[in-house]
Amino acid sequence: MTLIKVILLTAIIMLLAGLGFIYSGVYPMGADVPHNGLTYRALETLREQSIARAAADIQVPDLSDAELLLAGGPDYNDMCAQCHLKPGVKRSDMSIGLYPSPPNLSLALDDHQHTHAGGNTASAKRQFWIIKHGIKASGMPAWGPTHDDQRIWAMVAFIQKLPTLTPEQYQILTAREPAETSHH
Amino acid sequence: MKKILMNAALILSSTLLIAPAFAHDPAEHAKTAEAPDCEAMKKMDHSKMDMNDPVMQALMKKCSAAHSEHGDQHQGMDHDKTTATSKAASSANHEGHGSH
Repeated sequence: MTLIKVILLTAIIMLLAGLGFIYSGVYPMGADVPHNGLTYRALETLREQSIARAAADIQVPDLSDAELLLAGGPDYNDMCAQCHLKPGVKRSDMSIGLYPSPPNLSLALDDHQHTHAGGNTASAKRQFWIIKHGIKASGMPAWGPTHDDQRIWAMVAFIQKLPTLTPEQYQILTAREPAETSHH
Repeated sequence: MKKILMNAALILSSTLLIAPAFAHDPAEHAKTAEAPDCEAMKKMDHSKMDMNDPVMQALMKKCSAAHSEHGDQHQGMDHDKTTATSKAASSANHEGHGSH
């Protein structure tokens, strides 16, 4: 009985201490002050486990169609390149200022700061889910409410090929079709 | 209660109807759109190009589309009404592009 009382008392004290910490406002929320190592690892693990579970049942379509690259390239350039960069660009105001730092998707999987198990299929599932749903408190928006799945898969197809592109190839693939410009 | 349900249904349906209007429209970028720099294709090492690679296929499609678009523009122009300056510029552009 005494043990139960001690456990309960400890739990209440911890709860009150947690609430006190939250309401005290002492935790630095600025994006220019990184989390401590423990908090960062806890949040990263939470994020990766959550995405892996949510994306597990996604069926990856054939992403080898050249038309997907032509559709996804301009969208990537308009919507993603400022934060996730492009071939020949190592940093931008957004990539420096955002926290956590957005991965440089123009680098191969092994080189963009963290790795993901499962190869290209798992990577494609993950990218599709992240583009569609976004990530809380990271600056990554959910594009799903305004973009259909086909358009998101085209971006995934482009991102899968992005590390292999030269700056010149990137420019050609991401340029908006002449037919889409205002003079037509 | 019925009124509340009706209002909720109306708000939900109007939200769903409006949502596609917020979709990222490629036309928004028309003013800042760049033309593909297909001249850069000529500088690439063609011996290393794999025509089965979707990237190469996409590059070829993009540049062939850009070339045909360029050709269409010139076909649609009334060359009799163009000024000597624009004719000179057009001629210079064709030299830069090589054969169409």
